[in-house]
Amino acid sequence: MALGDSPPAPGAAGAGRGGGAEPARRARRVPAPPRFGTGRNADRLAPYVLVAPAVLVLVLLRLVPLFLGVNFSFTGDGDRDGAAVGFDNYTELLRDPVFRTALKNVGLLVLLLPVAVAIPGLLATFIYLRVPGHRLFRSVYFFPAVLSPVIIGAIFNLLLAFDGPLNSALEVAGVGPVDWLGDPDIAMFTVVGVHVWATFGMALVVFLAGFATLDGTLLDAARVDGASLAQVIRHVIVPGLSRTIQFVFVTTMIGMLTSMFGLLYVMTGGGPEGSTYLPEYYIWIQQGRMNRPALASAASTVLFLIMLVVGLAQIALLRRTGRED
Amino acid sequence: MMRTLCATTLVAALVLTGCGSAGSDSPSGSADDGKLVVWDWKSGEEDAAAYVEKAKADFAARHPDVTVEFVAQPFDQYYTLLGTAMQSGTGPDVMLFNGGGQLRDRADDLLPLGDRVAAERRRLAGWDAFTRDGTVYAVPVTLQGHPIYYNKALYEEAGLDPEQPAATWDEFTDDCATLAEETGASCFSLGNKEGYGIQFFLSALGSGVLGPAEYDDWIAGKRDWTSPRVRRIFQLWKETEEAGLNNGGANSTALFNEAFARFESGDAAHVVGLMSDVGHWKEFGELLGEDDVGVMPAPRVEAGAEPSLPYDGGIGYAVAKRTAHPKLAVDLVRSLTSEDALRAFSDGAGAIVSDTGIDVPGGGPALASIMQEVESGKPALHVALSAGTLDLMGRLSQQLLSGSASVDDAVRQLADSDRAD
Repeated sequence: MALGDSPPAPGAAGAGRGGGAEPARRARRVPAPPRFGTGRNADRLAPYVLVAPAVLVLVLLRLVPLFLGVNFSFTGDGDRDGAAVGFDNYTELLRDPVFRTALKNVGLLVLLLPVAVAIPGLLATFIYLRVPGHRLFRSVYFFPAVLSPVIIGAIFNLLLAFDGPLNSALEVAGVGPVDWLGDPDIAMFTVVGVHVWATFGMALVVFLAGFATLDGTLLDAARVDGASLAQVIRHVIVPGLSRTIQFVFVTTMIGMLTSMFGLLYVMTGGGPEGSTYLPEYYIWIQQGRMNRPALASAASTVLFLIMLVVGLAQIALLRRTGRED
Repeated sequence: MMRTLCATTLVAALVLTGCGSAGSDSPSGSADDGKLVVWDWKSGEEDAAAYVEKAKADFAARHPDVTVEFVAQPFDQYYTLLGTAMQSGTGPDVMLFNGGGQLRDRADDLLPLGDRVAAERRRLAGWDAFTRDGTVYAVPVTLQGHPIYYNKALYEEAGLDPEQPAATWDEFTDDCATLAEETGASCFSLGNKEGYGIQFFLSALGSGVLGPAEYDDWIAGKRDWTSPRVRRIFQLWKETEEAGLNNGGANSTALFNEAFARFESGDAAHVVGLMSDVGHWKEFGELLGEDDVGVMPAPRVEAGAEPSLPYDGGIGYAVAKRTAHPKLAVDLVRSLTSEDALRAFSDGAGAIVSDTGIDVPGGGPALASIMQEVESGKPALHVALSAGTLDLMGRLSQQLLSGSASVDDAVRQLADSDRAD
């Protein structure tokens, strides 16, 4: 309505595109004709109206559910359904060893992040340095990124089964079988390893894009100066790619915290001994199987806070590097 | 500063007013006029097609104007999906349940059936698994139990008498040693990846450990976790692993269906299986040959124990409390458990149905043994536990196998969880 009532201010739409600077200046000098007496108000309202759909979507689909979730986390389950229980759910979460394991695993993922970034980084470096067969490797490395986590999980379930092919090969090599998915000290590393295998192709592509911006003459100069491969990587490639590396750090972290559900579901189901739980898997189990939606809301709130801290830290990091540039 | 203040005020306000309900079940429009929605994980299967047709026909004859929509959900996500739908008030009118914890945990959202199914209560068996505090919440379709199956061909190969399986635990372990030596097969095929292995073990071997009175008390909810015999069951679980009676990697082997497949391929001599649906006499018989599959009673571990077949209602249909058409929904449940429908289910899926008057075709000696023991059978021990306690038991059982928890610690934690329910 407001839009229909107000004719666009002359120059506001046309000036930038076709008219250039001169008509725009002229347009500013001529006041908009006050038709219907509402033009100014409509002008003032227009931006709000234009952003309203986006704000509504954000408020209705993001903020309201978030608020409801946080609100539910202070209510009870079962017999205490709907009753205010204060911080009871949060104390229960802290006491629950499974949730504590889930949080510890988040910490483990953060610790393993450098490995998850280094692998695609190194492989991309080799491709960039044109090792024999680099064209083949480029497509082969990307291949797992197009497979669904469920399919990948099923494949690795077969490969890593106790009496599966990998253990048979180990046996031939004289090493005893390893219970890749059944040993609580190993299972989480196995799942993270499979996740890295499944997703490093995407990071590799980002690294290759970063390499495209690298100044080739610096590499040539380093070679002429007799730098070894390790020295080239350390003193030329890594500094030249610092922004790409940071970007890959951020996206890999988000991927690890939010996209491992499928793999966990198929490969371990949170086990053995609850050792491969992550907060999102815990929420799913409590909400559905244990019929504890309020407890799940509390766990969701905790996960939200963790993501908030990680997100803010990442934004701060990116801002700092932005300033450095 | 201002921002911190605002955030603190918001959190304080939420803590003080924490209101509404995360599990709210406000009615929604899933039950339109003349339409009932049924959720299950069976209706999409080929061998249940005839059953669904019969039930639909029976219902249509009584209520020709009502449409019935079957929605088949994947079983491994069934309770999570159902829980989510029920909490958001968009669940079905009629739904399939496994007997035991999942049904009891959600009984508050279900219609008490009681007198509404009086005729069915006389005709069908297996009600305990669908009852909470004396109130019936679902009508059983099948009977489900946990017989110990054994491979008669392996017994013969090892020089053991396949018709005389061990009656005591000591004899049983001796037989297992012979079987391992002569055939290379492991004694048990155990899959405990999902924590189901311990549930099956507890129920299958429990009657060989607990005395009859203690067994009945357990089922009635008077569980004495300090009893030495209860501890003995979990000790036995640990011992089977330590004595090498299980296959390797039990904690990473899925019971459904890796462990059953091991038994079917002759890599293990025994498996605790099911009576109906999957991992049962029909499936095993198809691969091993009907005559080579036997069912043995639990070996007696403690004096005074009276081994019995652990069984109860397997799956059954319940009605949502929030349904707009409770009478129609109950009538649909009646049709789903009518004699014709159950006969079709029995024929199609090879299931032992809740109407014990219906003859189950084929099955060989394993089925014959099961049917013989149904009369004296008792409800399964694990079915009496809540979903939360079973989940904990799954994790603890894995710790017992890997040696990272002691039996006393496991039993104490289970007792705490059971008391809290």
